Amino acid sequence: MEITLSKAKNAKLKVIKINGGRNMIAKLYSMGIYEGVDIEKLVSYSKGPVVIKVLNSQIAIGHNMAEKIVVKEMN
Amino acid sequence: MKIILTGNPNVGKSVVFSYLTGYTAISSNYPGTTVDILGGKTKLAGIDLEVVDVPGVYSLSGESVADRVADEIIKKGDYDLIINVLDANNLERNLFFAFELIEMKRPMIFLVNKCDIAKNRGINIDFKKLEELLGVKVIPIVATAGIGFDLLNNEFKNIVKNINDYIPKISVPDDKLDKWKMIGDVSSKCETIVHKHPTFLEKLEVITTTPVTAVPFAFILIILSFYFIRFIGEGLINYILDPFFNNFYMPIVEKLYSVISPGILRELLFGKSITPLEGFSVLTTGLYVPFVVVLPYIIAFYIVIGILEDIGYLPRLSVILDKFSHRIGLHGYGSIPFILGLGCKVPGIFSLRILETKREKLIAASLMFLSAPCMPQTAMIFAILSKYPVKWTFLFFIFLFSVGVLGAFLFNKIVKGEAQDLFVEIPPYHRPVLKNLLFKLNLRTKNFIKDAVPFVMGGIFFINILDVMNFFDMISKVFAPILNSVFSLPAKISPIIILGFLKKDVSITLLTPFNLGLRETLVSSYFLVTYLPCLASIFVLFKELGKKITVSVIAFNFVFSMFFSWLFSNILLAMGVQ
Ligand SMILES: Nc1nc2c(ncn2[C@@H]2O[C@H](COP(=O)(O)OP(=O)(O)OP(=O)(O)O)[C@@H](O)[C@H]2O)c(=O)[nH]1
Ligand SMILES: [Mg+2]
Repeated sequence: MEITLSKAKNAKLKVIKINGGRNMIAKLYSMGIYEGVDIEKLVSYSKGPVVIKVLNSQIAIGHNMAEKIVVKEMN
Repeated sequence: MKIILTGNPNVGKSVVFSYLTGYTAISSNYPGTTVDILGGKTKLAGIDLEVVDVPGVYSLSGESVADRVADEIIKKGDYDLIINVLDANNLERNLFFAFELIEMKRPMIFLVNKCDIAKNRGINIDFKKLEELLGVKVIPIVATAGIGFDLLNNEFKNIVKNINDYIPKISVPDDKLDKWKMIGDVSSKCETIVHKHPTFLEKLEVITTTPVTAVPFAFILIILSFYFIRFIGEGLINYILDPFFNNFYMPIVEKLYSVISPGILRELLFGKSITPLEGFSVLTTGLYVPFVVVLPYIIAFYIVIGILEDIGYLPRLSVILDKFSHRIGLHGYGSIPFILGLGCKVPGIFSLRILETKREKLIAASLMFLSAPCMPQTAMIFAILSKYPVKWTFLFFIFLFSVGVLGAFLFNKIVKGEAQDLFVEIPPYHRPVLKNLLFKLNLRTKNFIKDAVPFVMGGIFFINILDVMNFFDMISKVFAPILNSVFSLPAKISPIIILGFLKKDVSITLLTPFNLGLRETLVSSYFLVTYLPCLASIFVLFKELGKKITVSVIAFNFVFSMFFSWLFSNILLAMGVQ
């Protein structure tokens, strides 16, 4: 099922789409967050930031940005 | 030969820089410690080198405002060699930037740092293989322990002779997806990860990021820090510095006082009272304030901050504060300039660079000036309120903070634009290294002694001149109406308020000789802390953010401060506090 990063319940996710401007996409890209990559959601504040693990690092992403990242929940 | 030190944020560039040059670059466990370019000199393999510590970036694409400084230097190309530092714990992510460098076809070597932590976390890297795949010389190091620098030194013997051998020859795919794919290939070939039981620090990471436990943890930690700073500060004052001052130093001053005949010289040196804090003598109060009242708190504060910085707590705190910060137009990382500003506004203002937009910087600066007194001010508030129950100190800070938040909230409403989103790497916790803690403490304490102490003494000397020439009465008459009717404060403190502008950091303790009541102390301290930023911070603010923002922050804060001093005074009066 496709869902935004901020709403995803599962820990294991795959990035499907990034609905952001060039700037945001570039920023995410350089940190290893791009379409098709597997990520792990570690922490989520309701209507607040999420913390994900990608490659071997943890990254905090604000709510609005997390709303623009579409993911698929994996099992 | 000119070298630039590059790499992702937080990989340890500044530690490498300090090790090489012996210069003092602050390093802490959060991305964005270095926000400016720092240059130094060193000698490796007998060659004189000029080294530049570049702020960390994730990519050369140059889209983000904050990364521009680094971008410019790297692209300018007026250097002979790039030393790119990578974090062994994050090799794959670090390789993205490394690949961008490789594409530039300049001489370079890679230092893979933090090998000690990687080992503990079960990460094994085959450095020979990595070197082969990248076509770039790779040297593993542990910068904090100075391990691996001998290899670097050896390498330089060859570098000087054959610098062109250090230009990488592999070709890197243009497309970003292909680039990540190639990186995946490389790292799977030379990196193996053995699963280990989570270390204590890894468990602590989970506790301090999961909302249910992280929020109470942060709360308790802040309260504990507050008490710890007071405890250490007071301990140093009561058991060491004050006795030392009174038993060893004062007798000398008293001797001196008795041999100088009464007259203008004696008044200039000793003021109207020789007892510290009762008059404005440079030789007593002038030394007592900076060294006995303030210095202990500076030390205590920077011990706490240093530990939090080096463990890597600040980025996690910024996650916790993110939701709250959005209400005032900031994202959680805005807490870093704020926290640094609690020490001194100058580094606080510099670190505003980690925020992206002018709007955020404006709000963060205003919040900082309205609600984050620098440590000398805090120390003096502690000192001047120490004869009352501690709840008044708390009340003071709560009032200060609430008003600052209200100010930021209003700014957020007034200034057009939207809050940016938090987007920051959260580094793993590190065990703090004593050497680095002491190094930073020493640097920051020295800065205080060098930059602030002469000013404090000069300020007190100046006030003393006004005092002995009886200028106080004149100034007081002019300001009496405002102070009396608006703030219900005695007119006699008006020279302190005027001087507060020039010498903000001493102004609060200078209230001591006036024997004020509790309310008078609280209100005048509040006013002194908030009504204008100190000269040094105005200067830096101007340099960093330009005239328009500086003027609007100052004007806004002045109005706010006037109003809330008035309100504070009336609330206290209504509570029956004099
Ligand atoms: N254990 C360990 N810690 C290290 C090592 N090298 C650096 N550190 C720590 O890593 C943190 C980051 O170091 P910095 O030198 O500030 O990193 P930087 O690359 O300059 O970071 P920015 O200025 O933010 O780009 C600090 O807390 C250092 O003490 C190492 O080899 N081992
Ligand atoms: Mg640095």
